[in-house]
Amino acid sequence: MRNLSKVYGHGESRVVALDDASFEVHRGEFVLIVGSSGSGKTTLLHMIGLLNTPTGGSVVIDGTDTTWLSNNKTASFRNRRLGFIAQFSNLLTDLTVLENVMLPRQIAGRRGDGRIKDDAMALLRAVGLEAQADSRSNQISGGQAQRAAIARGLINNPSIVLADEPTGNLDSVSSYNVIELMKSTAKRLEQTFVVVTHDPGQFGDVDRVITVHDGRVSERRKLEPVVGSIGSGSGSGSGSGSSGGVVR
Amino acid sequence: MAYRMRLAKRMLFSKKGSLVGAVLAVTVGILVIHVNFVIFQGLYDAMVRDAKDYSIGDVQITDESSLITKSDLAIIGWFERIPSVEAVAPRLSGTGEINVTKNGELIEETRVPVVGVDPMRDMRASTVHKTVNEGSYVFARNSIVLGSNVASDLGGAVVGDSVKLMVVDRWGEENIRRFIVSGIADSPGGQGFDYSVVVHIDTLRDMMAREGETSSFLVRMADSSQSAQVRDLFLRSFPSEDFVAETVEEAAESRLEGFRSGIAMINMIGYFGMMSSAFAIVTIQMMLVNGKTREIGILRALGARRRDVLIVFILQGMLIGAIGAGVGTAAGLGYTFYAKETKMSFNNSLALEVSYDWVKIIQTALTSFALAIIASLYPSYRATRLTPVEAIRAV
Repeated sequence: MRNLSKVYGHGESRVVALDDASFEVHRGEFVLIVGSSGSGKTTLLHMIGLLNTPTGGSVVIDGTDTTWLSNNKTASFRNRRLGFIAQFSNLLTDLTVLENVMLPRQIAGRRGDGRIKDDAMALLRAVGLEAQADSRSNQISGGQAQRAAIARGLINNPSIVLADEPTGNLDSVSSYNVIELMKSTAKRLEQTFVVVTHDPGQFGDVDRVITVHDGRVSERRKLEPVVGSIGSGSGSGSGSGSSGGVVR
Repeated sequence: MAYRMRLAKRMLFSKKGSLVGAVLAVTVGILVIHVNFVIFQGLYDAMVRDAKDYSIGDVQITDESSLITKSDLAIIGWFERIPSVEAVAPRLSGTGEINVTKNGELIEETRVPVVGVDPMRDMRASTVHKTVNEGSYVFARNSIVLGSNVASDLGGAVVGDSVKLMVVDRWGEENIRRFIVSGIADSPGGQGFDYSVVVHIDTLRDMMAREGETSSFLVRMADSSQSAQVRDLFLRSFPSEDFVAETVEEAAESRLEGFRSGIAMINMIGYFGMMSSAFAIVTIQMMLVNGKTREIGILRALGARRRDVLIVFILQGMLIGAIGAGVGTAAGLGYTFYAKETKMSFNNSLALEVSYDWVKIIQTALTSFALAIIASLYPSYRATRLTPVEAIRAV
């Protein structure tokens, strides 16, 4: 992200949600974005996730400057390169857990329901939800729903998985399990995770913590790396083959 | 497309109240059209049917300016050569004054239309004799059938009563004859001879001094679809005569014309009703869209394009239209079946002539299906206008 800013309103009602934020995230990193409520951390995550357009600056993912992408290309980019985990009600309650996990790849328009189903089942197995595959997503617990959301976030082998307060709605045991799942996945697949949280202590050791305060990225702190190299460009499975999975 | 259809179905069926409401809106729209059709088209067809059965036949032959002077045998003989013609009957029409006396005392006197029939031929060419509920049809030169209204006007004349009929002949002379009431005719809706009296055609010819003359010939076809060909053939065969040959629809045009305009207006009201249903669908689908903001947000966050969201909600409109059209058509057919089987009538009036007009049935179903899709366009468009952030905030 380079010189990213987001301003809402005009004149006296002008609110600067994000002010000249710049940082890089490398492939395989596990990054926390922390800050107090209203600091702009969710706005920042939405910018990275291409859910919101910046007022200024640019988001470059895998070497692609996303600033000038059309609506359709942005949607397609989001679908193929980004995974999402939200705080509440992540899953579509009208679908089963398995169908939820299959959805991003079906949106991508990839053919072969059988293959998609196999991959989705493999992911559900990996997050320990194989038995709940055919359950309606409103029939499983909050912790299970977040694990299903992680599986869904990984189905298209994205460059980055973005999580907005993924444990904000969970009890401590479920929170621990979800965090462990994310961290182990990050390690195993060299998968980049960018996680917004107001409670970084829950996450233990992570690669980096970015602090947002009044819309400014005011602090960067490098913690002990969970994965070996940063920006190595290997093994994330983004399929892009481009600039080493770097988010600038 | 499969996942969009799955989503459309699941999202729609999870809001059962909205689904039922929307389907009901389409169903009611279709049902109104069917009920209108059964009643008003049924009435129209019943009038045509009764006109055909009682007074006109499939084809009616008249003279352009006065009475037909060509002999019955010549006309009937010509028609009977045609295989698709079942029967032909002559009729003579006039007016007269009728009175009834009992014990030498005049009970009542009234002016009536008089119809002269050839009983044997008439019973083959028309079914008006079946409207004689009491007594029998004209069987002798001095027998008379009274329409139920005439009988009532005569102070409740009954079979066996003696009545006097006065007819002014072609020379202006009053001609009075005594008749014995052989029957009372009463038809549902008064489409038969309820307001007339019926006598033997030879008797009436004699009274009117119209020997061998005829007002009209009723031609009953074995195959009604051949009516127009027979009409044309007849006119070509008698080019020098002033005959008028008309099918029942043409002959009854003057009395059906106004009714047909009424049907067109009722149909228009029905289609307006259907459009009201479309507005109901717009409202219900807007509620569906508002209730699914969270889902739209998730879909958009997962990379669904606006077009994908649009398709999901248009598919919902198609589902509503398809189910509504199915249920509405089934309900409409049920009503039509009921009306046909029970020979539905209102206040003992003429029984509706109910038919299944498959073209109209399919047209109505397709129109309501199309309207449901059109009605879903705006809500679907609104769904696509939700920005991902706006929608995801509802998550």
